[in-house]
Amino acid sequence: MMSLAARSGAFSPYMQATAFVVPGPLKSLIPGVVVKGETILVDPKKPFLCRESLSGQSPKTGPAVTVCINGCAGVRFAHTDIRIPDYSDYRRPEVQDPQKSSQDSSESRRTFSYLVTGAATVMGVYSAKTVVSQFVSSMSASADVLAMSKIQIKLSEIPEGNNMTFKWRGKPLFVRHRTEKEIATETAVNLSELRDPEHDKDRVKDPAWVIVLGVCTHLGCVPIANAGEFGGYYCPCHGSHYDASGRIRKGPAPLNLEVPFYEFLDEDTVVVG
Amino acid sequence: MSLTKSVYNLLFRRTSTFAITIMVGAVVFERIFDQGGEAVFEQMNRGKLWKHIKHNYENKEEE
Repeated sequence: MMSLAARSGAFSPYMQATAFVVPGPLKSLIPGVVVKGETILVDPKKPFLCRESLSGQSPKTGPAVTVCINGCAGVRFAHTDIRIPDYSDYRRPEVQDPQKSSQDSSESRRTFSYLVTGAATVMGVYSAKTVVSQFVSSMSASADVLAMSKIQIKLSEIPEGNNMTFKWRGKPLFVRHRTEKEIATETAVNLSELRDPEHDKDRVKDPAWVIVLGVCTHLGCVPIANAGEFGGYYCPCHGSHYDASGRIRKGPAPLNLEVPFYEFLDEDTVVVG
Repeated sequence: MSLTKSVYNLLFRRTSTFAITIMVGAVVFERIFDQGGEAVFEQMNRGKLWKHIKHNYENKEEE
């Protein structure tokens, strides 16, 4: 376009507005003068590595326009005033040389990149897992609290047919040594008679021992052992009758007495909790 | 070179195998790192931990 304007003969002075100072309402302080660009000396010894390293030797003048009928109309060094940084420090050594094909080293560079990514992710996964597990375990009960939450009971101290009350986690705990007759009665109970149907076998680990929480399921009173119409427990507050397996048989309570988790260490000891 | 190539093709090429590699690597790394740290700690505190001096007290009780 510029060359077309330059070669249009007699019209050229009229078509290139930039060559003349156009009088306007605002007068510029410095009149527009076309400054001839400096001659640039290109250092031929400097290695021409890549486009970026060219910035060290390319012309640094602004746009220069020359108008001549026979010559080229204008040479514009596009954006040569912008300094492009040299990234060769950040490039991998395999791709420093622009003459070499980068495909030859692509395999090792790619593997290295993935290896670094994978290793960083492994570290991240490990750290995340450690942080989460530490945080979650900090919310669980500490060892002294766990030790307090267990109770060890010597069963030989409880005579047959008797019920003993222990304190466990702030609540009364009934341990009942049943007689053969009681065991036979409770196993024979028809499930359809029960309000909260549960077989006696499901409530005990050893049929001789019934271990239940001494909290009435109605409103939380402590039942009285060996009382009531069914020979088990009787709640004095509102008259709930439990049988010798701790199951509700009569009265307002909706559920059987709760059976905590317990295990027999040996014939003589049981650990509740 | 062939090793890196086979590692890349086997483990890193697919995202699925890459993820599995990371998970397995995390488990392996956790074991090595934790047990290594534990071993270093015990080495530095040799003779001070309860499990190192426990036998002294057990012998006294038996006598």
